[in-house]
Amino acid sequence: MFHYCFQTMGNSETDTQSTVRAPFAPWDRRELPGLFDVDDTARRVGNYKWTEMKLFEALGGWIATVPELDIKVRLGTHCYHHSWHADIWHKRLPELREMKPERLTVPANEAMERFIEAMTEPEAPELTIEKLVGVYRVLIPRFIAAYTYHRNGASEITDAPTIRFINFILQDEFDDWRDGEMMLQSLITTADHVRRASEHQAKLEAIMVEAGGITGPGSIGTSVSTSTEGGV
Amino acid sequence: MRQFFPVEDLARDERFVQTNMAERMKDARTTVDIDAATAKSRASSNRLTPDRHDASDGARSLMHGIMVGEIQALEGAGRTAHDFAAGDGSGDTIPFELKLDMARQAWDEARHVEISVKLSDWMGTELGQFAENTVLFEAACSNDPILRLAGVNRALEGLAIDVFTQMKEFGNLAGDPYLEFCEDWMLADEVTHVKMGSDWLRKVTANDPDRRKKALEFQQVVDKLFSFGGARGETDESPIGLARRFRELAGFSDDEVDTISKMDSEALEERKEAIRAFHAQADAQPTPA
Amino acid sequence: MVDVSTAKVTVTPTEFHFVKYEAQDIIDVVTELAELLGVANPIHVIVDETTPLSKLASEADGTSSDSTLTLRAESGALENTKRFTHFSAEAARGSLGRTLLRAKDRLRDDFADAPGDYDLTLAENAAWDTYCAGRLSRMGVELNKQRWRYNYRNRFGFSDDCDAAFEQLWSADGLSWAELAAER
Repeated sequence: MFHYCFQTMGNSETDTQSTVRAPFAPWDRRELPGLFDVDDTARRVGNYKWTEMKLFEALGGWIATVPELDIKVRLGTHCYHHSWHADIWHKRLPELREMKPERLTVPANEAMERFIEAMTEPEAPELTIEKLVGVYRVLIPRFIAAYTYHRNGASEITDAPTIRFINFILQDEFDDWRDGEMMLQSLITTADHVRRASEHQAKLEAIMVEAGGITGPGSIGTSVSTSTEGGV
Repeated sequence: MRQFFPVEDLARDERFVQTNMAERMKDARTTVDIDAATAKSRASSNRLTPDRHDASDGARSLMHGIMVGEIQALEGAGRTAHDFAAGDGSGDTIPFELKLDMARQAWDEARHVEISVKLSDWMGTELGQFAENTVLFEAACSNDPILRLAGVNRALEGLAIDVFTQMKEFGNLAGDPYLEFCEDWMLADEVTHVKMGSDWLRKVTANDPDRRKKALEFQQVVDKLFSFGGARGETDESPIGLARRFRELAGFSDDEVDTISKMDSEALEERKEAIRAFHAQADAQPTPA
Repeated sequence: MVDVSTAKVTVTPTEFHFVKYEAQDIIDVVTELAELLGVANPIHVIVDETTPLSKLASEADGTSSDSTLTLRAESGALENTKRFTHFSAEAARGSLGRTLLRAKDRLRDDFADAPGDYDLTLAENAAWDTYCAGRLSRMGVELNKQRWRYNYRNRFGFSDDCDAAFEQLWSADGLSWAELAAER
């Protein structure tokens, strides 16, 4: 009876078409494996959170110390950006089985702590170049590198949330890097400015190299040579 | 970077000249009638409205005051995000979420600086044209983060609500297409900031009634300071009105607003008394031949 | 009232108690302005130092070259806004320059119908201020034109037509009172 009703109501071709489809559409090339397991990810995320916190604190603290009005205002905006990143990571940690986020909100190592101390050391009003160099020519490029490596290596299926958050955060990092670079180029107008910027950058880069990056050694993977035939 | 940053070190370019409340209150001149027999050039109301003869210049001067106030509010919010470690709120720690709120406030105040700069340009005022009173940042200098919340997020932002309401009404009456629009946007943000302050003050001092009491006392001191000798008040003698409706939206109770109103009246009377004393001193000086 | 200078410009008070002004500084500015604007009349400046406001007014006690021009200024009009209670020659030039131009206008026959400064409407004040500021600016006194445009807009409206009327007034010279006070 039921089958009869079906046959008399409609076109027989559509009534019998199968709804079976592959769970991954032909254009969906996402793979399962990722470079980071849950604990690895939580550790990195904790390092990101710690560093973003230090960054937003530094930017917020510097606002009152910088006489250039446009830079003063821009630091306020960027302070918020990095606080928002810290908040995202703070919320991600319990999702990675870390119920006490403060436990993993730590620097990657002692050298990262020294890096932040050195980066935040300039305070005098005439040191705007040094303040901006530390952030926009050393730390934020390192963030961009670490986030890019993490995003590209994370499992697109098991760790979609981290990838999504990194994509949003990376947009801010690129925008802030550009703002910072433009401010620096407008400030660095003499050979002495160039010298100051280069010396401060070199000093901070050396500490960052010691640290191995924002999440320590392996922040952007290792550069061990691989087979030219590629791998799985 | 130092943990706490003194007001004397606020960084400015050479256009800006700073002053403080002590200097301002030494000014023996006044716009209020300390003696009913004394004729003043304005109509009976001191309220800043477009029908005052000096409306444009008054609005320009107030807008410049708003701009430097926003710069100091931006600096204050940034410092509070920086100065205190994340913790449970005891000692000189503050909850992590409060640090985030301070960073958010820094962004809001940055936009307010940008808006005020554009409006100053619109009104024909140059940056740094008027002396900058640093009393606003001073409210953000306490070593106790709870006193900062009381001083900044309740007292200072409460004043901002009053001032922006006045300017919004001014813009509306004058038909200025930008002033009312911009002041309303800033007003919305300030309501948020006051609410942040009220909520955090309550949460962080939930188990510390003494600390809460001290914070509210400090807030009252700052509220009176921000009356600027009665320049804010509910009577027409004050150029800036007390914005009851928006303060209510922001979480001020009627009792709180009544207290502020009373302090504004006290501040005005004290100022009148000080002016009378200045005048008496001046009258006592020998007249030149 | 004591004459503290050469005969032409005098100031009351001769000594200030509420602000740190010097009568001689005011005399110097007004003397310079009188020369710039071609005013030969005796000029008396009265400063109200009890108020920080900046209202200005001018009177002439006749229309001849002997008539005394009286310029009244509240102390805020001559003030250094970066250092309150201190004198600013630049502010004084702008304020007293406009006021002196008004006084000079009042010497003209075609300004006989102009109300006294305290009887002008806000719109008439704004129009006359614009007219004076424009002329002063062309004579080399530094003024912020946007300030006067904003003042004009507050009185006449924020529109392209009003902006055009402002430009006309700013660039004008030799107007009569009837032309100045014409409907806008």
